[in-house]
Amino acid sequence: MTFLIITVLVLLALLGLPLFVALAGGSLLATFNAGLDPALLIVELNRLASSPYLAAIPLFTLAGVVLAAGGAPERMIQLFNAMVGWLPGGMAAVAIASCAFFTAFSGASGVTILALGGLMFPMLLHAGYSERLNLGLLTTSGSLGLLFPPSLAILLYGIVAGVSIDEMFLAGIVPGLLLMLMLGLFCLYVGTRHSVPRHKFSWTNLGRAAREGFWDILLPIGVIVGIFGGFLTITEASACTAIYVLVLEVVIHREIHLGKHLMPILSDTTILVGSILIILSVAMGLTNLLIDAQVPMIILGWMEEHVDTQLQFLLLLNIFLLVVGAMMDIFSATVVVVPLVLPIALRYGVDPVHLGIIFLANLEIGYSTPPVGINLFIASQRFGRPVLSLFRAALPFLALMLIWLALVTYIPAISLWWRG
Amino acid sequence: MPIPEPAWIGNFRRALLRMETLVAGGSLLLLLALVFGQVLARNFFDSSIPSADILSRYLVLYITFFGGALAVDYDKHIRLDVIAACLPVERCRKFKPPLYLVSAVVCAVFAWAAGRFWYDDWQYVAEHERWSSILALVTPFGFGLLALNFLLAGLFASRSGNPAP
Repeated sequence: MTFLIITVLVLLALLGLPLFVALAGGSLLATFNAGLDPALLIVELNRLASSPYLAAIPLFTLAGVVLAAGGAPERMIQLFNAMVGWLPGGMAAVAIASCAFFTAFSGASGVTILALGGLMFPMLLHAGYSERLNLGLLTTSGSLGLLFPPSLAILLYGIVAGVSIDEMFLAGIVPGLLLMLMLGLFCLYVGTRHSVPRHKFSWTNLGRAAREGFWDILLPIGVIVGIFGGFLTITEASACTAIYVLVLEVVIHREIHLGKHLMPILSDTTILVGSILIILSVAMGLTNLLIDAQVPMIILGWMEEHVDTQLQFLLLLNIFLLVVGAMMDIFSATVVVVPLVLPIALRYGVDPVHLGIIFLANLEIGYSTPPVGINLFIASQRFGRPVLSLFRAALPFLALMLIWLALVTYIPAISLWWRG
Repeated sequence: MPIPEPAWIGNFRRALLRMETLVAGGSLLLLLALVFGQVLARNFFDSSIPSADILSRYLVLYITFFGGALAVDYDKHIRLDVIAACLPVERCRKFKPPLYLVSAVVCAVFAWAAGRFWYDDWQYVAEHERWSSILALVTPFGFGLLALNFLLAGLFASRSGNPAP
């Protein structure tokens, strides 16, 4: 009977049942099977609510939504274009830098492709890059800044895994920069090989763009200095970021008119936060029940028989997470999978901070892989191309990302650089 | 198949949507003011806002539940929908009402469990902590609101033909 109900729940989830409902149904089934009171699930929800970092999620999300609604995407493109657009492959590097900056604040929810894709696509075509390269680049770049502070995905991993979010933010910087460098070098190679015409560097343009984008560039610097300088906690930094961004868009650039735009901004933010945190609310109960039922220990027992070394474990983990990334979105995957994988990874001597970076790196790739890579669907909607042709266009970038994943996974020092 | 939406149900859904937007948005603004107020109080006045931590935790729950209810209204909950992604849009639309009704039942059971938990807690809570216990009503109420939204979306097709207002 239990098997039948689980099968029905999985089938309904695949047909479009909201994920939190499928998880909630699973939680109820698990409590009934264990002869427990379902009120226990509410205890878990209250425990989650007492997490000191939780308030940072809605506030950083608000900052991202305000940036997207204002003129930040245009200002970023203008600034990066003036800085590096004159290099061979420069316009593609502009796309990489702008998308990474924007995703770090908007939380890889697809906003990057919607906000920047439409602007960058005609610019790249006009600059002489092939359509296929542009589509691949913009599709994969939609999740590029996932490892940079104050990424929502890092915050969520920290909350679920009980790992210091300050350390997670630090750990993501070098792997994130490495990926940008690798993709940038690839674009430089393509730009040179196809003799993409370059525009001239102009101090006047750079000065104008720097004046326009000056306050935006201060934003990530402020977040990093505020948190790592010990001036602000994560939650305080999120409130300061949201206030700063509001002042920037409402008072300085006057892109947002509170009377007209405030309610849609609040509505968009709360919908995004509600759809993520409601999963977290119900999933914590289910995963804790699975842990009580010794599920990770059963998996561990099997793995100890067949997997001898940390290297083998990491290889299996990568394959498993790539499949998860292709099937689930990053937020639900974090909530559901991390509590199950974490005890096993610890047993194999994997640092939980390093595990977090491996986890997010896999899911970052999963964003652009079928069947449900969200970047593919959003890019398909934005550029009016079939999902399969976007996947084909993204393949060279995905291959590079797989090499990057191997580096990040098997060289822990890339993630744990500050520990020496 | 969902039945056509009577006018009074349409009015009720619109009023519900307005209330959810106001509470979710208001909670978000209040949370922002509270946390930023804490930063100012700590750094410039060497003090803190009393009970700000407890209040901000509940505000996150208000944003979660009312934002979650809005996500039902706008059909924006996170889904796996691997099968649905491969099906034609029209066929997917047919699956939605029964899925909404299943969701309504699951949320109603959670609302019942949360209500029982809250009532047990209320009986033993100290007098000076009653205010926070009243705020904690958001959990049963929130799941109830989600159940109501799913029920309405499952039973009635809105005038625009979409499952949501």
